[in-house]
Amino acid sequence: MAGDSYPENSFEFFNDVIEWVSDFLDQLDKPLNLELKLIYMNTSSVKAMMDIFDLLEAAHLKGRAVSVNWYYDPRNERVIELAEEFKEDCTFSFMIIPDEK
Amino acid sequence: MTDRDSETPQWITDQLDDPANQNNPLLPALKYLLEQDKEHRARMDRMLRISDGYGNLVHNQSLSLSQRYDKQLRRLEKITRISDRYQQEMMELNQSLRQAALHDPLTGLPNRRMILERMKSELARQDRGCARFSLIMLDVDHFKHFNDTYGHETGDAVLSKLAEVMQHTVREYDLCARWGGEEFLILLPETDLKTAQTTAERLLQTLRTSTLDEVFRSPDQPHTKLTASLGVATYQPDETLDEAINRADSALLIAKQNGRNRVELNLEHEDHPAP
Repeated sequence: MAGDSYPENSFEFFNDVIEWVSDFLDQLDKPLNLELKLIYMNTSSVKAMMDIFDLLEAAHLKGRAVSVNWYYDPRNERVIELAEEFKEDCTFSFMIIPDEK
Repeated sequence: MTDRDSETPQWITDQLDDPANQNNPLLPALKYLLEQDKEHRARMDRMLRISDGYGNLVHNQSLSLSQRYDKQLRRLEKITRISDRYQQEMMELNQSLRQAALHDPLTGLPNRRMILERMKSELARQDRGCARFSLIMLDVDHFKHFNDTYGHETGDAVLSKLAEVMQHTVREYDLCARWGGEEFLILLPETDLKTAQTTAERLLQTLRTSTLDEVFRSPDQPHTKLTASLGVATYQPDETLDEAINRADSALLIAKQNGRNRVELNLEHEDHPAP
């Protein structure tokens, strides 16, 4: 997932994403790696992302291989602080990586 | 309650089993009572167990509810915190966009859009009976020559220097803007033509005495004087903004025609000043 997020109907929008992640974790046994390049998010998008991280955390506690790579533009270091906030309660691998491209 | 509690004490069973007591007429009654007592104890035992179980269940439930409540609360706080940060970032971005939209990146002066906005609000103030505003249009003399001889970078440095001098010369509430190219427009609120002329003359004088030493860093370049021509006009009731700007511009043109490095006033309509 990449870019800015402020969908008008963010609950409907993210419900599909959350369902997809949840189905993937329920039905498949493959490792799940989430690649993120997020810049701006509105409040409901923040909530949706936390829901997704909660799903990953629950799966991780059950022994599933899950990880998150959060890429940020090195010119905008404030994104690091935001990513750190998200990372706080996660015990799975959560990398915050400068995007050099 | 343990099983031992519900057991009949040994000394009673001993007495009941004692052959010497077998003919005691109270024996059947005692045995009956003992049986009853056992049953009661067992029932009591079960009731207590069930009741304790319910108690624990409710206790655990309320515990997990309060834990879940706390968790949700923390989560909500976190969402709010993150969201606030995003909003803060958005606001700062807005500010820098506004700055970029209304200022000239080279000189840092307000740009054409910003001074037009300000002139419109001055126009509105005029309608409410405030004193008239004046405009000074300024154009650098022989700027093309600077650019062609020393290159665009030097030309840009000259413009930046000029912008700096202008901003230091005008009053706090006057607005200097880069109108385009080497042309600058100064808005002087509540200023009549005579006062605007004084400001323009002062600016001209400051420019004549300011040096471009810092612009021409390499010593072998001949120092060139920076001069400008200025046209002054005062807004007249019922004219449009464009008309007022054009009158300042035509005064500037006359200053150029009259040999540059000078101030000219636009005196159109000035014979019939507004009451």
